[in-house]
Amino acid sequence: MKALKEKDVWDVLHRGSSARMATHSTAKFVPGSRVRAKSMNHSGHIRLPEFVQGREGVVASDQGAFIFPDEHARGSKRSERLYSVRFEGDELWGNESSQSPTAVFVDLFESYLETA
Amino acid sequence: MSEHRHAHPPKKVEIRVKALESLLVEKGLVDPLALDELVDVYEHRVGPQNGAKVVAKAWCDPAYRDRLLGDATAAIAEFGFKGRQGEDMVALENTPTVHNMVVCTLCSCYPWPVLGLPPVWYKSPPYRARAVSEPRSVLEEFGVRLESHVEVRVWDSTAEVRYLVIPMRPEGTEHFNEIQLASLVTRDSMIGTGIIKPPESVQ
Repeated sequence: MKALKEKDVWDVLHRGSSARMATHSTAKFVPGSRVRAKSMNHSGHIRLPEFVQGREGVVASDQGAFIFPDEHARGSKRSERLYSVRFEGDELWGNESSQSPTAVFVDLFESYLETA
Repeated sequence: MSEHRHAHPPKKVEIRVKALESLLVEKGLVDPLALDELVDVYEHRVGPQNGAKVVAKAWCDPAYRDRLLGDATAAIAEFGFKGRQGEDMVALENTPTVHNMVVCTLCSCYPWPVLGLPPVWYKSPPYRARAVSEPRSVLEEFGVRLESHVEVRVWDSTAEVRYLVIPMRPEGTEHFNEIQLASLVTRDSMIGTGIIKPPESVQ
């Protein structure tokens, strides 16, 4: 491993490194699709927060495909489609919180989701 | 650190950090000058002053606002703001009926090129838990009071997309230029947890 040099710091930060990848797979979901976040017993790196597991929401947007971090953490690099999924506050926390409208948008990879 | 007064012996974790740093430098894995440069970048060159310029331009220039909402990464790069932790940006516009706020419940993901490094509270477990479970209470504690009909949208940046909130332009700023407007835009208002400074604060 080579140490980052002082003169290269700005360039490295400024260039960045997007995790966006090309994909040839067709999207399983589209904006408006009703989905449920799967309940996953997973030891290791995962980007599916527990508070949405088993909860239903609606796909708000297709964010494109990115390196799938769960497998990247184990050394393999493949792309997976990412969606912004809207969950209503009521669905996540019960009716007590529903005096005023709240929604939580979570970025979720396709394999975390199933049709609701 | 040299000004640090040792009224108490250094904590274990401080000693451990120093030992690690010495080892990394001795083994040639970290260049201390590069480390200083990294700190300097985020202390002096990259911070919320960048995001404030983006917001002010969006307020003044409807065509820019449209580009920002259409492709935030490209619109932000028009200022030269880009790179690490800002590779895939989305801008969220507050309106009279929608208030946006941002959290990373899994860790501390944050849009560095426009806001710099995250504040300590943004990384704290209580904020990360409560921002999603009781956002209105959290907003009130930050001094953001919303009418009950306003929908609160909490954006959890769990993956690769980073979010920038475009707060509402305050009333009484119609004659302000972009530089004056930018001076009103606070870091927290671009996370969605703070308010804009009052127009009277402009010099």
